[in-house]
Amino acid sequence: MQHRLLSVRLVFAAIMVLAFGYGIYEAFSYAYLAKIFPLYVSLVMFVLACINLAQEIGISWKEVQESGVGFVDLESDWDIPMTTVIGRFCTFLAILLFLYASIWLVGYSISITIFLVLFYRFLTKTTWGVALVAGFAGLGFISLISRLMVIDWPSGIIQNWIQLPWPLG
Amino acid sequence: MEAALKSLSIVLDPSHFMFLCAGVLVGLSIGILPGLGGIVGMSILLPIIYGMDPHSAFALLIGMVAVIPTSDTFPSVMMGIPGSSASQATIMDGYPLAKKGEAARALGAAFTASLIGGLFGAAVLTLIIPIARPIVLAFGSPELFMLALLGMSMVGVLSGNKPGKGVLAAGIGLMIGALGDAPAVPEYRYTLGIEYLMDGVPLVIVGLGLFAFPEIFDLLIKGRSISEVATLGKGWLDGVKDAIHHKLIILRCSIIGVIVGFLPGLGGSVVDWIAYGHIIQTTRDREDFGKGDIRGVLAPESANNAKEGGGLIPTLLFGIPGSGSMAVFLGGLLILGIQPGPAMVTEHVDLLYTAIWSLALANVFGAGLCIFLSKPITRLTIIPFAYLAPFMILIITLASYQASRGWGDLIALLVMGILGWVMKQYGWPRPAALIGYVLSDNIETYLFISVQRYGISWMTRVGVIILALIIIASLALGIFYQRKKTPKARSESRDYATQASQR
Repeated sequence: MQHRLLSVRLVFAAIMVLAFGYGIYEAFSYAYLAKIFPLYVSLVMFVLACINLAQEIGISWKEVQESGVGFVDLESDWDIPMTTVIGRFCTFLAILLFLYASIWLVGYSISITIFLVLFYRFLTKTTWGVALVAGFAGLGFISLISRLMVIDWPSGIIQNWIQLPWPLG
Repeated sequence: MEAALKSLSIVLDPSHFMFLCAGVLVGLSIGILPGLGGIVGMSILLPIIYGMDPHSAFALLIGMVAVIPTSDTFPSVMMGIPGSSASQATIMDGYPLAKKGEAARALGAAFTASLIGGLFGAAVLTLIIPIARPIVLAFGSPELFMLALLGMSMVGVLSGNKPGKGVLAAGIGLMIGALGDAPAVPEYRYTLGIEYLMDGVPLVIVGLGLFAFPEIFDLLIKGRSISEVATLGKGWLDGVKDAIHHKLIILRCSIIGVIVGFLPGLGGSVVDWIAYGHIIQTTRDREDFGKGDIRGVLAPESANNAKEGGGLIPTLLFGIPGSGSMAVFLGGLLILGIQPGPAMVTEHVDLLYTAIWSLALANVFGAGLCIFLSKPITRLTIIPFAYLAPFMILIITLASYQASRGWGDLIALLVMGILGWVMKQYGWPRPAALIGYVLSDNIETYLFISVQRYGISWMTRVGVIILALIIIASLALGIFYQRKKTPKARSESRDYATQASQR
């Protein structure tokens, strides 16, 4: 039961209740004309979110009593176990966070090039040659967009220390 | 008539025609890239038009803006990623068709609908010039508020058998839309002290986060190609036949597109949802919507192209831009030394017809090129997604970053993406959230202006009453058809909301 109550679906429903509750609380601090719209939307949604949370708990409790099987609340049509789904999601999310950290460190152009090369080599499992072609194709593409849109991609810490040539700098 | 023929001869002159083709190619490229839309295209082309002959500049700019709603169908159908704000609803049925291996059919139908919608928009632009003024002026803030409510009434049909979650999802969208500066007073709401949130979360990030991010992650988790079948199935010609078969749907949705387009302030992001919701509400056999019904592709695609013709009416005749891209276009007119306004009909009638011809010809070329390209491009759907995923991540981060060019865009994409993924997994209708977000500002602003300007009497205006009756009739029709469904159909559509939310 504890396992089920902590399932993502219930947590999400509870977060919705808290979010709309915060919406009401925060709206009271605004000027009259700024508060009307978010206050009334939040009030209605808070009531609905509470009803939804109660329903979710009811469904979970019923499922526990009927099946005794844990963690079956995923509504997507997966043909792989849910634990694998969550595990893979966390893995790919970690990869994305790693990309973000890398952008913060060495800037967008270098990070995305390295990301493409490593992704192709180790996740898509291509040869180093194909991976390098993909990486440089990506770099070429973002450089072209940068020129056309007159946009500088985010630079990292390294660009503050070392003067790198365009498009890496 | 003489002015129209003169303008046609100017547009068909090789040097001008070259600019039209260049505009079409730029528009096609921008449309194919998810998240980039007319504003980006206009911004790229604007520096080029300095000192240019106005007819050539019109051909270039209108050629570009006219085909974005055509080519943005590629990412919407093949990857479930909105190509631009005008093609969000195309995902609902276009992407399921691609999953079934019928991407070519969906694209063929979409491009034909886009072509007809675009030509319809150009034709209406021609006819409406003499009578546009009283029509545009008849729509004040109360009527625009009611139109926004009409858009919100679509939440019901997009939530299937989960109306509660649909309304809650719309509430999430409304609250995301309320982030940042309030329209009525100088007050920043729900910013948590974060500077980035003072301007709110840009539409491109909400769209990419709710739809593109979850789709990319799910395909990576599944480790398969986009198409669940190895062969591509029906071809684009079947799509063209579908479009011809459902010509009345295209006509109806083109009319919706023109009307929404020529109303300044409502924004082009709404038109596809209104057309999509309308077609579900007025259809008896709606069981397949959200699972790959070709009518769900035809409706938004005809409407979003038709809106470009409509959008030019207030821009050219009143100097009031109907959308973001039209606002930049307005800047372009001023660069060319043309003052938009009623004088366009008397002093620059040749330019008006250049705009109309450019719009019509660009739609023909754009649709033709897209149909030509659709066969090789649909092959992308059978490539294992591990090859596409890194480039898709590149594109969504790039598209997000150009929204306000700050780190906040990338972080907002991550947050919206996780929200979208969780919503998708647990059957929260994401289209309802997007509609809520898109209409949030309109609802608040127009309600505020209506009450300030007219008090309670805004509800007694003829336009408001007519629109209220349309909303009631539209909802009643939807409920009527829902109840008329057979028990078999009911059981088949039991999982509609879940499937729709997964689009």
